[in-house]
Amino acid sequence: MTGAFDFAPAIALLPLAAFAVALFGGNYLPKRGALAGITALAGSLVLSLWALVTVAGGETYHADLYTFVAGQDTLSLHLGILIDPLSALMLVIVSLIALLVFVFSLGYMNDEGETGLPRYYAELGLFSFSMLAFVFADNLLMAFMFFELVGLCSYLLIGFWFREEGPSSAAKKAFLVTRFGDYFFLVGTVGIFATFGTGMFAGAESFPHMAEQALAGEHSVRTFLGLGEQAWFTVLGLLVLGGVIGKSAQFPLHTWLPDAMEGPTPVSALIHAATMVAAGVYLVARMYGFYLLSPTALGVIALVGGFTALFAASMALVKQELKQVLAYSTISQYGYMMLALGGGGYVAAVFHLTTHAIFKALLFLGAGAVIIAMHHNENMWDMGGLKEKMPVTYYAFLSGSLALAGIFPFAGFWSKDEVLYETLIHGLGGSPLLLAGYAMGLLAVAFTGFYTFRMVFLTFHGDARTEQAEDPHGVRWNVKLPLAVLGILAAVAGVINLAPVEKVTGIHLTFLHDWLDMAPDSFGTAVHHYGDISPYSAAYLGGETGTVLLGAAVSLGLALLGAGLAYRLYAVPDPEEHTDRLGSLKTLLMNNYYQDEYQVWLARDVTLPLSRKADTFDQSVIDGVVNATSSVSLFAGERVRRIQTGLVTHYATLITLSLVALLVVFGYLGGWF
Amino acid sequence: MVGVTHYLVLSAAVFAIGVFGILTRRNALLFLMSVELMLNAANINLVAFSLHYGNLSGQVFALFVMALAAAEVAIGLGIILVLDRNFGGIDVTVPTTMRR
Repeated sequence: MTGAFDFAPAIALLPLAAFAVALFGGNYLPKRGALAGITALAGSLVLSLWALVTVAGGETYHADLYTFVAGQDTLSLHLGILIDPLSALMLVIVSLIALLVFVFSLGYMNDEGETGLPRYYAELGLFSFSMLAFVFADNLLMAFMFFELVGLCSYLLIGFWFREEGPSSAAKKAFLVTRFGDYFFLVGTVGIFATFGTGMFAGAESFPHMAEQALAGEHSVRTFLGLGEQAWFTVLGLLVLGGVIGKSAQFPLHTWLPDAMEGPTPVSALIHAATMVAAGVYLVARMYGFYLLSPTALGVIALVGGFTALFAASMALVKQELKQVLAYSTISQYGYMMLALGGGGYVAAVFHLTTHAIFKALLFLGAGAVIIAMHHNENMWDMGGLKEKMPVTYYAFLSGSLALAGIFPFAGFWSKDEVLYETLIHGLGGSPLLLAGYAMGLLAVAFTGFYTFRMVFLTFHGDARTEQAEDPHGVRWNVKLPLAVLGILAAVAGVINLAPVEKVTGIHLTFLHDWLDMAPDSFGTAVHHYGDISPYSAAYLGGETGTVLLGAAVSLGLALLGAGLAYRLYAVPDPEEHTDRLGSLKTLLMNNYYQDEYQVWLARDVTLPLSRKADTFDQSVIDGVVNATSSVSLFAGERVRRIQTGLVTHYATLITLSLVALLVVFGYLGGWF
Repeated sequence: MVGVTHYLVLSAAVFAIGVFGILTRRNALLFLMSVELMLNAANINLVAFSLHYGNLSGQVFALFVMALAAAEVAIGLGIILVLDRNFGGIDVTVPTTMRR
C-alpha cells in the first residue's frame, strides 16, 4: 500500500531535479528552465497537499532517509523526514508560494528580456529544494545544513545582477550578517548534540523530550561550564536563537533584509518575505518544546520580537521606495511572530506565519507588477494614479494591504489579533515583560496601518506624477494569475482560526488550533502538550470575552487610526511629503537609526584593531616561542656539523676513539679494572 | 706448548697494525690492505678459539669471512679505480666533496 508519505522525499527532490535541468539544459528549453520549475513545484504542491490530507486523516510520518555517520554506542548523524501537522502546513505554504513565484517570474524576468535566466531558475529550484527539505528535517543537524543552503541561495539570488555594484554588495552583506548569527546556531547545535546525544525534534528520543525529563529529574544529561540543567538549556536555546535572529532579520541582525531588496522582486517575494525569512521562526516553532522549558529564553524572544516589530515599523514610515517599505514591514511582522512565540502563543505564531506568507508574497508580487509597469522605477513619489490603469494589481494589492494593516475581516487581522491577545493574557498572568512586548506590538499596529496605506495611496491614488506613471507598461496573465490567487487567499485565509469569534459566540472555529493539536502524543509536538509545559499562566480583564473584545477593538482601532491618518494626508490628488514635519527624527528614520553605520563602525573601528592586536600577539609571542625552539636545534646543528670534514681518516679516527672510549666505559662500569 | 693466549697476542698485534695503517696512511691501497689485516686478525681469533674448544664452527666462520673479504676487496678496488679516475690519484685526503 503506497500512500502520500512514500513520496515525501519527492516533495523536495522534484525542485532539485528542476535545478539540474535548468542549470544544464536551461539554454535549450523554451522558457529557459521556467517550465521545468513550474512542473516540479506543481508536483511538490500536489504531493504536499496529499501529505496534508493524509495528516488530516490522523497519520504522521517519521523516517530515516540516509545515515551518514553511524555511531557505535554514541550519536548518529542522519537525514530524516518528519511530517507532522506543523511541517505539512509549512510544506504546502512553501510549495504554493514557490509555484506562484515561478509563474510570476515568467512575467517579471522572461517578458522583460533578462539574460542569465537558466541561472535564475536553477537557483530558484535549488532554493525550493533546500527550503522544503529544511521544513521536513527531523533533526537539528539536517535543519542546520539546509538552513545554510537556503542562505547560500539567498546570496546567489540577491546577487543575480552581479555586474552591478549594489546587488553584489547587498548579497555579501546578507551572507555575512546571517552567517554571523549562524555561528551561534552551529555552536548551539553542537551543544545540543553533546548534551543529549541526539538532535531529533520529535519523539521519545528527541531532545525537547529529554530536556523535559531532565528538568523533572527523571533522566540526567551532561551539562557544561558548570551550569545547572535549567541554566544550560537556556544557554543552548539562546545560542540557537542567534541563527534565528539572523535569518528572520530580528534586531540587531536585521540590517541585511532591506538591502536584500536589490535582488529581483519575485526573489524578494519568495525568499525575503514568505519563506526563507520564516525559517528562523519556523525553527523556534519546530523546537518549541525545548524553548518552553526556559522562561528566560522565551522572555528574550518576546522582547526581541516586540522591539523589532516597533523598531522596523517606525523605519517603514518614511521610506520612499516601494520595496523598502515592504522590507521593513516584513521585519516588523516577523517581530510579531517572535513576540507570539516568546509569549506562549504557539498557534498564534504559526497562524501569523501562514497569513503573513500569503499577504506579504502578494504585496511583493504586486510591487513587482507595479515595478514592471513603472519601467523599473521603485520610487513611490514617481507613481500615483495607477489604480485605474492596473485594476487587478490594485485590488490584489489592496487586499494584501488590508491584511497587513490588520483591518477586519482580512487574514492579517485575525492572526495579528491573536498574537497580541495571547501576549496580553500571558502578560496579565504575571509576566510584566510580555506586557512591555504587548505595548510595543500595539504601537506598531498603528504604525503598520499608517505606512501600509501611505504606500497604497502614493502608489495607486491621486494623479500620475511622472510620464511613466501616466503610461504604465502592461502586465500579462502570468503576473495577474498569482496576484489573483494570493489576493483571494489574503482576504479569506483568516477563517482557519477565528479564535475571537469562537470565544464570543461559542461556535467552534479554531481549526488551526485543532490541526496543530493533531500531532500524536509520542511526538510531543502537539499544542496541548505545549500548554502543559508552558511557564505562563493566563489572566483576563473583564472575563475572557471582555479581554477578547477589548484587545480586538484596541488593535483594530489603532490600525484604523493609522490608516485614517494616511488617508487624510495622502489620499489627495497631489500629496506632499508630510513626514518632513518630523524634522530630525525623519533623518534618523531615513538613516535606519544609523544601524548600518554602527555595524560598520563595530567592524572597522573595534574588531579590526582587535584582530590586528591578536595578529601581532600571534606573530611575536606564539611564533616567537616556536622559532626560539627551532633556533636551539639550528645552532646545535651548525656546531656539530663541523666534525664532518669529508676526510676518511678523520672518520676512522673518530670511530676508533669512540670505540676505545666505549670499551673503557663498559669496562669501568662492568668492573673489569 | 702454544696456547690460546699466544694466538690472541698475535691477533691483537695484527689488528693494531691494521688500525695504525688506517689512521696514518693516505694511500687508498694501503687502506684496503689495513682493513684486510684487521679482518684476518679476527679470523685468527675465530680459528684459535675453535681449536681451543674443539668446535669446528669457528673455522667455518673463518672461511666465510675470507669469502666476504674477497668480495670486499673487489668492491674496494673498484672504488679506488673510480677515485683515481675522478681525482687523478688515490690519496684519500683529496676527495672531500661529500662534505656538504
